Amino acid sequence: MDNNKDNIWVGQMDLNHDEEFLDTLNQEFADDDIDYAALAVNLSGNRRDFLKLLGFGLGAATVAAGCDIPVKKAIPYVVKPEEIVPGVANYYASTFVNGGDYCSVLVKTREGRPIKIEGNDLSSITKGGTSARAQASVLSLYDTNRFTGPKLKDGASWIDTSWEDVDKKIKSALISASGIRVVTNTIMSPTTKKALSEFTDRFSSAKVVTYDPVSSSALLDANERNFGIRAIPNYRFDQAEVIVSFNADFLGTWISPVEYTKGYVKGRKIDDITKASMSRHIQVENHMSLTGSNADNRILVRPSEQGVAIAHLYNEITGGGMSTAGLNDRAKASLKKAASELKNAAGKSIVISASDNVNEQLMINAINQALGNYGNTLDMSTPSYQRQGNHSDLKSLVDDIKGGAVNCVIFFGANPVYDSPYGAALKEGLAKVKNKISLAISNDDTTDLCNIVAPMTHYLESWGDVEAKKGQLTLIQPTIAPLFDNRQAELSFLLWAGSDNVNENSEQPYYDYLKENWKNTNFKAQSEYGSFQGFWDNAVHDGVFSISGGSAPSFNSADIGSDITKPSSSELEISFYETVHMGNGQYAGNPWLMEMADPITRTVWGNYLAVPVNFDGVRTMVGFKNLKDGDIVELTIGDKKVSLPVIQQFGQMPGTVSLALGYGRQIAGNTGSNVGIDVNDSLTVGNTGVGYYNTNVSVSEKVGKEKDFSCVQYHHTIGVRGIDKETNTEVNADESALVTFDYFTGVKGFQGALTDRSVIYTSNVSELKENVEHLQERRKEAQHLNEQQIYKGFDHLYSLGHHWGMHVDLNACIGCGACTVACMAENNVPVVGKHEVSIHHEMTWLRIDRYYYGDVENPSTIYQPMMCQHCDNAPCENVCPVNATNHSAEGLNQMAYNRCIGTRYCANNCPFKVRRFNWLDYTKADLWPINQPRLQEESTPFMADNLTRMVLNPDVTVRSRGVIEKCSFCVQRIQEGKLTAKTEGRTLKDRDVRPACQTACPADAITFGDLNNMDGDLNAKLGSPLNYIALEEINVRPSVTYTMKVNNRDKSFDA
Amino acid sequence: MSAVVSPIRKPLVTGNKTYHQITEDLISPTEKAPTKAWLIGFILAVSVATYGVFCIIWTIWVGIGSWNLNRTINWSWDITNFVWWIGIGHAGTLISAILLLFRQKWRTGVNRAAEAMTIFAVICAALFPIIHMGRVWLAFFIMPYPNTRGPLWPNFNSPLLWDVFAISTYFTVSLLFWYTGLVPDFATVRDRAKGFRKKIYNTLSFGWTGSAKHWQRWESLSLILAGISTPLVLSVHTIVSFDFATSVIPGWHTTIFPPYFVAGAIFSGFAMVLTLMIITRKLLKLEDYITIEHIESMNKVILLTGTIVGVAYLTELFISWYSGYVYEQFAFFNRALGPYWWSYFGMMFCNVIAPQFFWKKSWRRNVTLTFFLSIVVNIGMWFERFVIIGTTLARDYIPSSWSLYSPSWVEIGIYIGTMGIFFTLYLIFVRVAPVVAVAEIKHILKSGGNQYVGEGAAKAHHSSEH
Repeated sequence: MDNNKDNIWVGQMDLNHDEEFLDTLNQEFADDDIDYAALAVNLSGNRRDFLKLLGFGLGAATVAAGCDIPVKKAIPYVVKPEEIVPGVANYYASTFVNGGDYCSVLVKTREGRPIKIEGNDLSSITKGGTSARAQASVLSLYDTNRFTGPKLKDGASWIDTSWEDVDKKIKSALISASGIRVVTNTIMSPTTKKALSEFTDRFSSAKVVTYDPVSSSALLDANERNFGIRAIPNYRFDQAEVIVSFNADFLGTWISPVEYTKGYVKGRKIDDITKASMSRHIQVENHMSLTGSNADNRILVRPSEQGVAIAHLYNEITGGGMSTAGLNDRAKASLKKAASELKNAAGKSIVISASDNVNEQLMINAINQALGNYGNTLDMSTPSYQRQGNHSDLKSLVDDIKGGAVNCVIFFGANPVYDSPYGAALKEGLAKVKNKISLAISNDDTTDLCNIVAPMTHYLESWGDVEAKKGQLTLIQPTIAPLFDNRQAELSFLLWAGSDNVNENSEQPYYDYLKENWKNTNFKAQSEYGSFQGFWDNAVHDGVFSISGGSAPSFNSADIGSDITKPSSSELEISFYETVHMGNGQYAGNPWLMEMADPITRTVWGNYLAVPVNFDGVRTMVGFKNLKDGDIVELTIGDKKVSLPVIQQFGQMPGTVSLALGYGRQIAGNTGSNVGIDVNDSLTVGNTGVGYYNTNVSVSEKVGKEKDFSCVQYHHTIGVRGIDKETNTEVNADESALVTFDYFTGVKGFQGALTDRSVIYTSNVSELKENVEHLQERRKEAQHLNEQQIYKGFDHLYSLGHHWGMHVDLNACIGCGACTVACMAENNVPVVGKHEVSIHHEMTWLRIDRYYYGDVENPSTIYQPMMCQHCDNAPCENVCPVNATNHSAEGLNQMAYNRCIGTRYCANNCPFKVRRFNWLDYTKADLWPINQPRLQEESTPFMADNLTRMVLNPDVTVRSRGVIEKCSFCVQRIQEGKLTAKTEGRTLKDRDVRPACQTACPADAITFGDLNNMDGDLNAKLGSPLNYIALEEINVRPSVTYTMKVNNRDKSFDA
Repeated sequence: MSAVVSPIRKPLVTGNKTYHQITEDLISPTEKAPTKAWLIGFILAVSVATYGVFCIIWTIWVGIGSWNLNRTINWSWDITNFVWWIGIGHAGTLISAILLLFRQKWRTGVNRAAEAMTIFAVICAALFPIIHMGRVWLAFFIMPYPNTRGPLWPNFNSPLLWDVFAISTYFTVSLLFWYTGLVPDFATVRDRAKGFRKKIYNTLSFGWTGSAKHWQRWESLSLILAGISTPLVLSVHTIVSFDFATSVIPGWHTTIFPPYFVAGAIFSGFAMVLTLMIITRKLLKLEDYITIEHIESMNKVILLTGTIVGVAYLTELFISWYSGYVYEQFAFFNRALGPYWWSYFGMMFCNVIAPQFFWKKSWRRNVTLTFFLSIVVNIGMWFERFVIIGTTLARDYIPSSWSLYSPSWVEIGIYIGTMGIFFTLYLIFVRVAPVVAVAEIKHILKSGGNQYVGEGAAKAHHSSEH
């Protein structure tokens, strides 16, 4: 056999040289004798084959039909846009603007979807800080309640129409109108103003009426009288050594809180304890505001005493002779002390007031002038334009509408029916106005009374510019094509005015208009760039552009009238305040903000009447009228009577109660409608502005109990002290109040249960040395204890590679909550609704614990951002039966959601209680809808709508029900940072990885980094003797370090 | 007949029973039609069990969100009930194993029912760790089985995993022990039965013929199983206590827990045995087999273990004070004086004060009082577990996260439902198997005091005490 030379044979036949076999061997195709042609018709089978086929067929069909395979759409780019790499985020500079609220931002987009807001470090105003409102604004883009296109009112419902139709109707209405009003909130955009001026030029009867939901009109009027410009000074809190604020919540809501926070914390951080110095911050108020909670001293005055309180300080500083009758004696003495401190810090102090009374603001200006603060801490050369509302304009608008002088009104992003004190009058008057046009993004209380909606685009879909401060410009650029058939508001005005400067057929008409305007103005004001394109590209890239120069107008003294707030002799007064998250209702439709815990009351989903609380001297914290948290009372203001729940508020002045603005909107989408109580109709309207208080008020006894009392923190205090009635000595009132039942033994608390908790450490700046020594001693003791163990641990492993850690400066943290919203946005944290929060099912990965300490009547406050501490000896890890939570080599405590079976053992064993369990199907991951909680009885659960789900961060798993989740130190950002460093071929810097909370923080309180990177930002912070680790003695070895909270309280104020 | 006359030892079985009478007395309940009382009880138990099953399905369907647990109190009624049932399940093995090894012959009157109770209680207990999981359909993740994920093993450091092994071992051994004891009795039932019933009992008795070899092997097996289960009596609740003792939560992190839990478990187990036995002896007229002596003996155990538990409570209080550690001190301060003070008070009263009645002999022998106190002890032991779990979790390290809790209708439904399941199983048991171990009781009939000549001795036809 030729082909078998190598003695390779196949089978016996080959070996035996079988003839037949050898024949077939060389054939390419086997001769199988099958008549293939006949086969097709002769398909025969026996019974067994039939049954087999039947069985298989049935089985396969059952399997195929039984599994509901979800249809998932993934459409690839046909032509891939140049700048988009799937999986890699793009950042675009833009500006968050909502009326006077401003924040220069970077918008993070993934695959063309904006999903997160970051601060813009290049901004000279916000300097990379953000607010909760800015953070949450991305969710409002995907609001399911948005108008999807122009609409006409037909009876009670809106019917769709086309832009041609709407434009035609509006144009004819405008031409025939004899009185046109454009109602807006503050407009900071020069180009919008230009467009509006084209509009008002075209229609001579048109007037623009600007007001602010929370009015600063008097402040602007006073500045106009003193300086000739209607603007707000540039407050430089970083330069201020003494700050006196009359009810101005400048860290939370007043004018430009992010900017002020940046400056304020510079005077609060302590870098060197041997030379510790802090600014002194004195807040004059009646309710505990966010700013007041951060103050060193609070001077309690009733809302109606604000005027005379300012007058008293005015008299003390300038020697003026204003009447101060009616001011309480304690406040008088304290203000005198404040005056002497101010005088000592002349030129380095700031006095501000939120008053909307022009005479009071004139006194404030006079005080600042007398102290020589203008030109130093108050700069009028770069004034702020962040509030422009004019109360008298609003008032005349209401009169004009009521008088029938207006027959066409355009609401440009304003909602005066809800958020002005004239809501009822406007509602009544609007019925007489023939053409009512709204440009609102989604339906609101005012828009619902209109007959035409020409919806504008969301800021993330728009072009625009902002001049928040003189010469400080920022650009707004779209980060997504308009989701719906909406049109930029400015373009609408230009088109209705028939402007020649806009080309309707252009692809982006307003973009051209904006560019053209910049070419003619800002481009000419600079000399750096020769070509406009270069200038423009740079401005769009950075998002910011500034023009320097300009001098401050000089101060002209003005006569101060005697019309100031009159102290009332009423037994009870109520003050109304703006919250960080709701504004005056502008943000009510945003679920993230609705579910963000109020920094002070820690309540969500509604406004709770804050009532004063005091220690009864035995063992109870007694609320006003014996009211307890969650009791329902009847509140009567004037002739308005409402039922609402109360919350005991420490630091609330006796004889006053407070209620937040911004709730109780009738029409605010699924989230905001009918949540809480609307109080805008109870404001006191003065001659020059709005008084955010009312003296004609009474509160009933308890009439019921709130069903869903949603407060995420039940215990508010950590060792407040009060006077014991029997012994007349100072005792730990807090601990006495912990006793629910004493078995008739008269036990009054266990001394030390709250004061000695190694969770927070506080000190007065004057006692810093002793307290730091005490802290060091306790740390040493804890560390000594922790060394006494037989297990050697894994420190030798953690010293290799990265070891992630965090530092939280409690002296910088003001509690504003921007980080908590940023965390929700970054990590797809679900919103669970009021009922779920009321049974403590909130899902926040990062919370800000708020404790009161010190004097029970007028306590100090500490904020402690609390997130997973990423313990290196984590108690949660060893108890998980299935290894679902475990430790990474880089010191991260990580969750494998897929592995989690939900025993919740880890959550029990977490000393910090930061683990969150998916009690129900909060993210619509289940097949059946019964366990998806509704936020507000809406038809589709929140998170179930595909539009809402566009906001999800694709880098973070959406968790299903039944699993535990918690802070991951933004592990997705760590990974991204590591990859960035790797591709750039360098070692990782701490700045490469910044978790969402750190980037959001306006106070730079959070520093994240690598504990093994000795030159990094984190290690630079770890040397301070103020540092401590929460619960260090239990040896769980957290990776998060806090600092001792230092206050600059002057106890002599409290006497 | 032996010449030894003991005036001290009273007979373990009263009423001058003959062997045949014993057979008649103990086997006949399985042969007669059920009584009205049984029927009513059974319908009630099945209804309650059905409601419990509905609540369990509701929990799985809707999620743990149907319970009122929260971010601070992640366990409460679920694990309280689990520990409570496991505790109840302790008496059976103790009686059958440890008392067997100690040659406590009186155990034969109650061991069968006590073992049955153990098994049913463990079934009820084992329900809770399973249904308290957020994703119960993945419960198999806790089993160490080879898999394609690495393989990925469970976390052998977790006390919850130890629980799985401890409870499943305990259940298996208890079941074997119980069944082994049943084999000769099933044979007795078979011998009296006819037709289909005979076939079933023949299978159940594994063809037992009663040969000497059978008895010899049976005795050996009983002893071996007793030897295996003796350490289990101590280990199961020790391991359950590790769930808490190995944690870092103040009030949980204590070394006293293992002995304290074991004593508490025996305490509650005996209380439950008493509750059941008192009902059973009354309804099945077994007063001659489950005698006042039995009740008194068990009351002594209750007094002893109750006092041990009381000492443990006081030790805890002392140690928390002595530790000088503020969180530990506060945990106990909070238990006694905090918002759940009533559960601490209830625990102290029911577990420490109530059993002290049994120092008096006539009270120990008072059936009504014993029945009442056995229920009080069971309530008290439930409070103890609630104090340890619910109250402790409500207020731990971080005051901002302190919370409060009350159960939802689903949680209450499941707890009540497990009682339904328990009684359903027990009622079925009394119908299909002899409640008292027939073979074993015959074994002690002659040996344990039949020569007694004291008060109420053989001359009296029937025991008249109760």
